[in-house]
Amino acid sequence: MKLVAIVGTNADFSYNRLLLQYMQKHFQAMADIKILEIDQLPAFSIDEPLDMKVWSFKKAIQQADGVIFSTPEYDHSIPAALKSAIEWVSYKQNVLYHKPAMIVGTSYGPQASARAQEHLRQILASPDCDAYTLSGNEVLIGNAAKVFVDGNVTDAKVRAELESYFNNFVDFIETTAPKEDDSMPKQPYLDDAYIKFPTGSLSFREVQQILSTIPFEIDLIDHTDHFTWYSNKPNREHVRYPNEIGEGVDECHPPKALPIVMKIINSFKDGSRDSVSRPLMMHGHRVLIQYYALRDVDGSYLGTIEFTGSVEHILNFYDQGAWGASDGTSGASQADATSGASDASADDAADATSGASAHDDAATDAPAENADTTDAPDATSGASEH
Amino acid sequence: MKFVAIVGSNANQSVNRQLLQFMQRHFDEDQLDLVEVKPFPMFNENHPATDPEPAVKLAEQIQAADGVIIACPEYNHSVPSGLKSVIEWESYRLHPFKNKPVMIVGASKFAQGSSRAQLHLRQILDSPGVFAQVFPGNEFLLGQAKQAFTAEGDLKDQGTIDFLTLCYNGFKDFVAMHQAAQEAQA
Repeated sequence: MKLVAIVGTNADFSYNRLLLQYMQKHFQAMADIKILEIDQLPAFSIDEPLDMKVWSFKKAIQQADGVIFSTPEYDHSIPAALKSAIEWVSYKQNVLYHKPAMIVGTSYGPQASARAQEHLRQILASPDCDAYTLSGNEVLIGNAAKVFVDGNVTDAKVRAELESYFNNFVDFIETTAPKEDDSMPKQPYLDDAYIKFPTGSLSFREVQQILSTIPFEIDLIDHTDHFTWYSNKPNREHVRYPNEIGEGVDECHPPKALPIVMKIINSFKDGSRDSVSRPLMMHGHRVLIQYYALRDVDGSYLGTIEFTGSVEHILNFYDQGAWGASDGTSGASQADATSGASDASADDAADATSGASAHDDAATDAPAENADTTDAPDATSGASEH
Repeated sequence: MKFVAIVGSNANQSVNRQLLQFMQRHFDEDQLDLVEVKPFPMFNENHPATDPEPAVKLAEQIQAADGVIIACPEYNHSVPSGLKSVIEWESYRLHPFKNKPVMIVGASKFAQGSSRAQLHLRQILDSPGVFAQVFPGNEFLLGQAKQAFTAEGDLKDQGTIDFLTLCYNGFKDFVAMHQAAQEAQA
């Protein structure tokens, strides 16, 4: 079970932070608790764009099975800094929606943060948040300076109560939180239907398995700029989650990447480009990402499709001289023949794949994609063998 | 009388700002000085080590005023963090709200007119660190606020203006009563 725990203050020293650190350690066999700080988040404003820190903060909550709030009390309510964090995470894309939440708090005095916790319950119950807050189970640890010694809870009664309440929270998550399979099927819905293409027919099961087997992963942004589907390929480079389905393109991409992504999508929409390729390093190996405009038979824009895959095995073949090009002794014409294989289809304007790469102006393409028809006959025969 | 009127929203477009601007014009026998929350940094008990300049200035303004009027929006059924942060600054090292009469008004796009945020704000202003004298009752809740103003920024509905005037005059009586009590004590 993956939980995030939000330190409800931006102060340098806080017993509420110590409480969460204690819970993180004490309950490590039951849950993986990641502590989130709010002190680096900007002050909420509807006029400010989402920045990277807020985006990462929201993502962490979105991917967690539950959230623990540890709140101090300022003026009988929650600190402004915590309120600001809640405003960010519930504004536009609300990542607290139906998220199991637990409220804890501690203070120097005997009251703990009882009144702030009551406000926080009301805030989390507002339609803007609509979190599933665990009722009862009030963790009100007073006299914090006596209770917390060297990162441990000295009071056995406090410890037992915390253990009991945390157990209840874990049960609460397991029984009431929406299961992944409630919204997304583990297996796609299949029946005996099949699709009849001009070039043959495929059953729905075959379609699914083809999409999971082809040697790259696929992500689809539809024509309304929403992330609507990804291929269920094992060991993906980009790990995606079912609860990201339906997100706007501005929500599923980090703010710093968004301008580039929008530039690509807009160029697909206005027809100025059909594809963009990006070679890059991911997880220590060489990866090629290729974006293609997905177009209907009449050419209208259906969406942007992103292919991502490791190219290590292809480059290894190349290094081993599989096409005789890497030893530098073979003539230029032979090297051209290699690229000629794709050029053969590049000559055929109807072929979306290579036609697209020929239009690519991203200047990051592998050289083999450059159009060169020197050895076209050779390439053509090569192509026809397939 | 002289009042400090705090715009509880840091948004560029705010019906609560419009409401205070209307009150400023409409009740021109008094002086209403509008204060924005946007210039205030997020409250932090460690940083900065001294009170930021807008907090010091507001404390002086509040001290010199007969009372404070706060226009409160509602975010997540509570007080917006921008306004809460200002109150935290004004209740940490500075305490200008102590014994200061405060009137709460509020507007929202929907029917409630920030009713739940106003209740939270009352509780916050009533806490020992703030210790304001909050004008009881007289809940001015301006719902459907996007449709409530003319192009010139005046409230359209005479009944609404009458009720606002009733609340406002009641607040002035409350301030006078409070000042008389303090003089008697001194």
